[in-house]
Order: sequence, then structure tokens, then C-alpha cells
Amino acid sequence: MDLSLDAATIEFQAEVRSWLATHVRPLSSMDTPDGFEEHRAWERQLASARLSVVSWPAEFGGREASLLQWLVFEEEYHAAGAPGRVSQNGIFLLAPTLFAFGTDEQRARILPAMARADEVWAQAWSEPEAGSDLASLRSTAVRCDGGWLLRGQKTWSSRAAFADRAFGLFRTGPGERHRGLTYLLFDLRAEGVSVRPIAQLDGEPGFAEIFLDDVFVPDHDVVGAVGDGWRVAMSTAGNERGLTLRSPGRFLAAAGRLVELYRKNPDPALRDRVVDAWIGAQAYRLHTFGALSSPPSGPAASVTKVFWSELDVALHETALDLLGEAAPGWRDGWLFSLAGPIYAGTNEIQRNVIAERILGLPR
Amino acid sequence: MTPEQLALRDAVRGLLDKHSDVRAAIETPHGYDKDLWARLTDIGVLPIPEQYGGSGATFDETRIALEELGRTLTPSPLLASAIAAHALLTSTGAEFRGRLLRRIAEGAVATLAWDSVAVTATPAIDYPEVNAASDYLDGAARYVLDGDLAEILLVSDGEFLYEVDPATLSREHTPTIDQTRRLATVHLSNAPALRVGRWSPEIRDFALAALSAEQVGAAARALELTVEYTKTRVQFGKPIGSFQALKHRMADLHVLVETARSAALAANDEVSAAVAKVYCSEAFFSVAAEMVQLHGGIAITWEHDAHLYFKRAHGSRQLFGSPQDHIRRLTRFAHR
Repeated sequence: MDLSLDAATIEFQAEVRSWLATHVRPLSSMDTPDGFEEHRAWERQLASARLSVVSWPAEFGGREASLLQWLVFEEEYHAAGAPGRVSQNGIFLLAPTLFAFGTDEQRARILPAMARADEVWAQAWSEPEAGSDLASLRSTAVRCDGGWLLRGQKTWSSRAAFADRAFGLFRTGPGERHRGLTYLLFDLRAEGVSVRPIAQLDGEPGFAEIFLDDVFVPDHDVVGAVGDGWRVAMSTAGNERGLTLRSPGRFLAAAGRLVELYRKNPDPALRDRVVDAWIGAQAYRLHTFGALSSPPSGPAASVTKVFWSELDVALHETALDLLGEAAPGWRDGWLFSLAGPIYAGTNEIQRNVIAERILGLPR
Repeated sequence: MTPEQLALRDAVRGLLDKHSDVRAAIETPHGYDKDLWARLTDIGVLPIPEQYGGSGATFDETRIALEELGRTLTPSPLLASAIAAHALLTSTGAEFRGRLLRRIAEGAVATLAWDSVAVTATPAIDYPEVNAASDYLDGAARYVLDGDLAEILLVSDGEFLYEVDPATLSREHTPTIDQTRRLATVHLSNAPALRVGRWSPEIRDFALAALSAEQVGAAARALELTVEYTKTRVQFGKPIGSFQALKHRMADLHVLVETARSAALAANDEVSAAVAKVYCSEAFFSVAAEMVQLHGGIAITWEHDAHLYFKRAHGSRQLFGSPQDHIRRLTRFAHR
């Protein structure tokens, strides 16, 4: 496999690198109200350089970058230590769904505002009794004049307390479990919505519960067909588990920092783990390059998800063991890495998907 | 355990069930519940003989209490005070021993700042560097258990043990990721120090064994809480604990906890104490990490206790030397 870059990609890489070198600066945690707004401003800066959504069509704020160029962008972004993407739920999860299932009107109305972070999106999948078993969800959307009324409770919605809008699955019937679900968009500041922040294990209010009491959603905010929500949502889940949300750049950057750390604090007892983590990041990079022709989605995305989430934990644990007690630079990433095997479908669910849908093992 | 030891375990467990409130304790200025500490010392958990005003408890009883405190993550001066009492008992002259042990037996918080360099030669890390200069000490000791609160402060320079009057030095609470454990930095600047005995590596081994007991208690409880949760959390129409993928993981954790308990109980010399520290650190960390994963999203919240166990596991792994520090030390024995 030829991994060398073409001239256009090299030029793009140089542009991204130099732009990041002049613009990246540390921001406060995006799980706080002030930090969230700092991150929104950062997204606007990216957008003004047409770097917020490089792979999108130009009409929505992108520059039609190839998948290879997107991977290059991500490598540069993480290598530069650039801020976390506060708009990630929108640009990596909702947008691909709109490209696949949305209407032209929805794309024109929603995507440019998303690219500029004028609207930051939260996801509203899980419910208190429906986590791994998402198909048992109970929140409903009931038909009304000109649209739908949402009722129920969603939880584990990252930054919903600060975001503008949300996308989620609601029971519209008829049918049980995977049938009779519809994918809907709603305004987090609409009448009938209350959002309660939940403090995370680092103490920051990054999670939220969303309570919905007859929240009106107009018909034009239904994505895909009524009753076809499961299929629509699973395409988004594939994106979350797969390549887009967790690009190899993130792990390459972390592995690079880990190796640097080892050079400064060589500890033979940890040498193998450092090398293993570095190899893991390289393997993930090569895996994604190998997938350039057919990006992992559907069941294949589960393979990617298990790999990156467990790699992330190993990278951070090794760094902390190298540093011992003096590890402030790694601590936040470490705590966040713990959530990786849980969100976007727990790794237990991913392993079931791999076993049943890829290996064909009996249910 | 003997019937007396079982009764002691039940008494400590009952006391903690009734009175231990970890979240409230860590919000207090000193980080622990003073009434609870008084009740605990009344039960007789410090390893101080009767002739020095103690209850006559030995390390066996202390270790039972530490395991119970580990289960609930209750912040307590027991670990620090037990190590200080043990050091006084085994390594100091009789003329100092009685006076200090009597105060500890009455509940005075005591601690020992010991030179970790002797154990853990990690050059990048600033371990306590305390140089004895006749009867004055200079330097700083880091990660001293209860070091900002202790009424009795013992300091080792790796050769001798000194009693230092806390009024003659400056010290500060140094918060770590584990809010349930109080650590401090003690700065010594020409501090008058009374040479009370000789440092012995046996004090280190005692500290490692004591910490291992606490780690085992915490690991056992973390697993119990996880098992309970997976019995009640229903997904796909069944308690998630009925899924084999989860069952086997918890069965493995049980094996880990039981073998860790054996390692902790067996710790009584240099090698076995180092083995216990490594094994119990890894076991507790594995259980706590799995506790987070098996609870799922709820474990990522501040409100749930899983992160307290996880952070304690991480902190304990580093305390008194990380596993790899002790592994390096153990390789010397393996090569003999």
C-alpha cells in the first residue's frame, strides 16, 4: 500500500499546520459554561478559515477534502494540541446522517449553521432505563397539528446544558423495540424542555439529563421516514463508533507524547507497555488508511470502537505510571478515556455486534 | 480469624456503617471525622501494647480495621498513626517510646515522614530529602500521610528517626486526585529534631503490609458493589449480571480479590511485603477500573462512588512506591 501523499494533500497539510501553529491556544474545559463558549468561538475561527468541516461540500462550509486529507487534517489537529471539538456531536454524528437521510431543505438549513457553531448540537439517545438496550427506549413523539409533541426523559447527553439543539430517537409507534421509532430534531430552549446538568467524575457538569414535556417539533425536523428511526440512528451510531469521532490523529499525538515522556523518564519496567501503546496507535493509523476505500461503518465500526477506546485507556494508564504522582497534563485525558469503552455503545455491545453480525455466531 | 478478631471486624464494620460519611468527611477542613476517629481508637485498633496505654492490639487487629476502612474509603488517621506507632515500638529507645505511644493511644494523630528514596530510586521525582545536621533537619518531605494535621511528627532521613515539633516547621495540605486520603508536604528548615531511634527497612515493610490490607478491603467492596449493581440493572429484559460476558469478568475479579487478600495477610518480611504491595495495588486497580466499566455511564458521574474507588486505587498504587518501583527491588531477590 502506498502511503505517500499527493501534491494537493501536501499543500493542504502545510496550510493546516501553519494555520494551527498561529491560532491554537489553550482553552478552559468545554464542560463548563464559559469553556463551552470559548470552544464555540474557536469553532467559528476554524470555520472562518474553512477548516471546521473540511470534508463537506463547499456550499455548507467545507472544502470537499478527500478522506485522506481529512485524516491528515486530524493528524495535524491533534499533533498541534488543538482544542476538543465542541461541535463534534453535530459535525461527526448528525451531519453524516443528514447527508444520508436528510432532505435538501434540512441540509441547507442545518449544516451551514452547524459548521459555524451558530448551532451546537447535543445527542439525546440514552434514557435511564435504556442504555446498552437502546431499543427499549420509552420517550414518545405524539402526532399533533403540523408536527409532533415529545414526552419523556433522556440522559448522558454531553453538554446539553449549554448546547442549542439536540437529535434523538422517539417512539412514534406502531410496533415495539426497534420498530415504531422516529429520528427527530428539537430545540433545547423550546417550551417544555428542562435540562439538568450532571457532574462528571472530574466534577465538571459535562453531562445532562433532558426532560421533555410536550415539546413541539415541526414536521420538517423529522429525519428520514416516520417509523424508520432505528435504521437512521444506527447510521449515526456507526459514525460515532467508527472513524469520524476518533481519528487516528488523536492517538498518534498521545503516543508521541508518551514516547517523549519515556525518553525523559526511562523506566525499564514500563518499556514494553510504552512500545505496545505506540504500536497500537500505529496499527490504528494503518487500519484507518487501509479503510480509506471503504470507511468502517455498520458492524465494522464496532471493531474500530473496541480498538480505539481500549488503546486510549492503555496510553493514558501507561503515561500515568511513568509519571507517578506528578501527572497533571495527562490526568484529564485519563479520566475521559475511562468513558470511551462506555459511550457510543459499550464495548460489551460492540463485542456482541462483532460476534453476531461479523462472525455470524448464534444470538 | 479468631472469634475475637471476627468480633472486632463486626464492631468496626458496624461503626462505619452507622457513622462513616465519606462525602461529608472530605468536605471538612481536616478531611476526616474526628468523632469517628475517637470511637475507632476506643475500639482498640492501634498496635500499642497495654504497658504504653494501648489496648494490646497487634498488627493483626490493625490490619482488620484497615481492611474495613478500605471497604468504605473512610478517611482516617489510622494508617499514618499505626505506622508511626509501629516505628516507635520497634525502632526507638524506651525513653521516648512510652511518652509518644501513650499520646497516640489516646487518639493524637501521628505520622512518619520516611525517606522513600531508599525504596524507590526514581530520580525524576522529588522524594523527601531530609538531611540530619546534628539536631536540626533541613529539606522537605512530600506525600506525608496526615502530615499537615499530625500532632506527633516523626521524620526519617533514611538512617535515624527524629521527633520534630510541628510548631517548628511549615507544612501544607497537598490535594491529590484521591480526596479520601490526606497528604501533605512538610518543609523543614533548620528544624530542631530529637533523634529518637534508628530507621529500619522493617518499618517500610510494615507500611506496605498495612496499605495492602486497606487495598484489599477497598477492592472487595468495589467488587461487591459491582455485583449488586449488575443484579439489579435490567437491560434486554434481564439483569445485566446474567450475561456471561459480565459474569466471567466478575468471577475473574473475585479470584483477584481473594488472592490479593492472601498476599496481604502473608506480608511479614521484605519480600512478602513488596509482593503484597505490587499484587494488591494491581488487583485493586483492576477491580476499580472494571467497576467503572461494568457500571457504565452512572460510574462517570460525580454522584456515584465508583470514581472514589477508582481514584483511591490510583493513589494507593503510587503511595509508598509504585508497583514498578517494588518490582525493580524484587528483581534483586529473583537473581539470587
